[in-house]
Amino acid sequence: MELERISVVLRPRAPREALDLGAAMLRANARAVWSAWFAFTLPAFVLCNTLGVVVGLPWLGLLLMWWLKPLFDRLPLYVLARAVFDRAPGWRATLRGQRQWPWGSTWAALSWLRIDSNRSLRLPLELLEGLPRRQRSARWSVLRRRIVTDASLLTYACLQFELVLFLSVWLLTWMLVPHEWLPDSLRDFFRVDVHAASTAWMLLSSLVAYLAMSVIEPLYVACGFALYLNRRTQLEAWDIDLAFRRLRQRLLANGKALAVLLVCAGCWSLPVHAAISPQALQAASPTSLEQVFRQPVGAADRRFADAAAEAYRDPRFGGERKTREWVFKYTPAPQAAATPMQPLFPGFAGGVAMILKLALWLLLAVAVAALLRFVWRWRGTRAGVDAAAVSRLRGLRTQVVADAPLPADLAAAVRVMWHAHQQREALALLYRGCVEQATRLLQLPSSLDMTEADWLRQAAAMADRARAQRVVTIVRTWQFAAYAGRYPDDAAVESLLAGWPAQAGAPA
Amino acid sequence: MLDTVREIETPEGISLRLRAAGAVPRAQAWMLDLLVRLGVFVLAMIPFSLLGVGGNGLAMLLLFALMWAYSVVCEVWLGGQTLGKRALGLRVVNADGTPVTWMPSVVRNLLRVVDALPGVYGVGLACTLIDPHARRLGDIVAGTMVVHAAELPAGTQVPKVAAIAPPVVLAADEQAALVEFAERSGQLTLQRQEELANLLMPLTGRRDSGAVAQLIAHANWLLGRA
Repeated sequence: MELERISVVLRPRAPREALDLGAAMLRANARAVWSAWFAFTLPAFVLCNTLGVVVGLPWLGLLLMWWLKPLFDRLPLYVLARAVFDRAPGWRATLRGQRQWPWGSTWAALSWLRIDSNRSLRLPLELLEGLPRRQRSARWSVLRRRIVTDASLLTYACLQFELVLFLSVWLLTWMLVPHEWLPDSLRDFFRVDVHAASTAWMLLSSLVAYLAMSVIEPLYVACGFALYLNRRTQLEAWDIDLAFRRLRQRLLANGKALAVLLVCAGCWSLPVHAAISPQALQAASPTSLEQVFRQPVGAADRRFADAAAEAYRDPRFGGERKTREWVFKYTPAPQAAATPMQPLFPGFAGGVAMILKLALWLLLAVAVAALLRFVWRWRGTRAGVDAAAVSRLRGLRTQVVADAPLPADLAAAVRVMWHAHQQREALALLYRGCVEQATRLLQLPSSLDMTEADWLRQAAAMADRARAQRVVTIVRTWQFAAYAGRYPDDAAVESLLAGWPAQAGAPA
Repeated sequence: MLDTVREIETPEGISLRLRAAGAVPRAQAWMLDLLVRLGVFVLAMIPFSLLGVGGNGLAMLLLFALMWAYSVVCEVWLGGQTLGKRALGLRVVNADGTPVTWMPSVVRNLLRVVDALPGVYGVGLACTLIDPHARRLGDIVAGTMVVHAAELPAGTQVPKVAAIAPPVVLAADEQAALVEFAERSGQLTLQRQEELANLLMPLTGRRDSGAVAQLIAHANWLLGRA
């Protein structure tokens, strides 16, 4: 394989993208492809149509040209394969080169494989690799695995393209006929021409179809070839191969290679010096496609054949593979088709059936009723819960005013609120008063962002243990009320209101 | 070297690679779109047929929208992808790689009239086959192109082994090749892996399975693993 000579960019592509590469290859080698194409197919076209006219079946030319497509496919493939790995041959070389390619696959494609949607993919495999039959079928099964759908879709797309071009020519001609002539010419056409000059019309159709085929068929072959190249790039990592070869050449040319080799040899004590010599690199570079694709394979080269056989033993290239699947341990005995049995007492059976039917309806009614009852109850509870939750929330959202000035007599104000069932507000007021007294006592700067936890900490720092204890009690009480909704009883509140923070001047 | 990529370099020195989509995938996407639109139209005709003459008017409006607005709306609002293009992983972009905008989208879809000319898209097909980036006339006038947006087929995770620094400094593409080898070695046969690794004997100083292991260790180093 002489990959360095390849003239297309190899990189992993999705199959659809590879098709576009085929179109690009065709565009780049258009002159070589179509000169060879017309040099061979034009005489074939003339021959086929002459044969049709002579035999008296004018449609035969059209059919024959379509049937011979697999034969014509060889030409674009020959040109493209050489253009990709070498340079495009002239049309004479192409025609001469056809003799070297095997004919067996072409006969197959012309006979029992004529309606095969994978022809574009088979062509390069059969003509370029030239493997013996058994290996070829194994290789085919590997090659087609991921891309067989794309190959088939390509065939249908090209079929459509041909139809489009064929119709386009006719429609364009029809559009160019002046409108005022149109009725006359159409009438003439259907009344006279179709019958009188049907042969001429058929030959004209044949010509148009041939032109459409000439445009699309090379595209079809090129796209199939690109699919093939892409699949082999994927299977054999041709792009990595190329990059490695370039790297290897750089390393060897740098002269550092020897030093590295010496180091490596020292490290791993492997006898590697001899393996790489400049002479080995300058092996005769193959130029012909036979050398590039190694053709014919295995006849003389025993070692290669062994290696190939070894490679085919790899599970990825066909061969045997183990699969696991679940199967029934006991195969169910085939059941005899149940024949409807005649009931012994038709009337009795009918009665039982009626009763059971009624029972089933009853069951259904009960089920529906139960469901309805459940729904009704569920709706009721849900509404109740919601209402309670909402009212509770509304209760929580009472105005706990944080910035109103504190009353002069805090204890009295709190007591009034407490007895007016504004317990939460009362405790909030008490907490605020307590905080203010503590701030004054500790001579702290007034700060809004101190939390309850901060006050508990401040209380621990107070010198007066009794006052500290009272602050802790009030903060705790407030926390229980604010966050858990747990309120103290009246006596506990009274004890909180007696003494220091609530009555500012009082001792603890 | 032949490729279908259109390379654009931004002022920041970043090269964008637009993978131009050719005639075959585009035709397939168009067929899918046609089927989708036909399906919508037929479904909509069922209620419209109950409305008499008014229904006919509505059907005409729908047909107009499907013919002229469908592509533009899809391209502008669905990221340059009609449903068919989305199914085939294609995308319409401006020629400089930016997302397609209103004006180019309208222009390229109005010029469908020309591309569809003899009634069966003959002009468009011929133009797509000739143009190096497979643009039809509408694309050329509007300055847009259709590209492959689907992700490239990727390899597997590089197997984790103890990293070894390569003995020489490698260029960026050489590093990429090493990592690529490590990623895709799972898809290759053992023989092929060794064959490839043996090419790099000047780098690894080993042969066969030792060389493969060494290259994967280098790849681990290049990926920054400890």
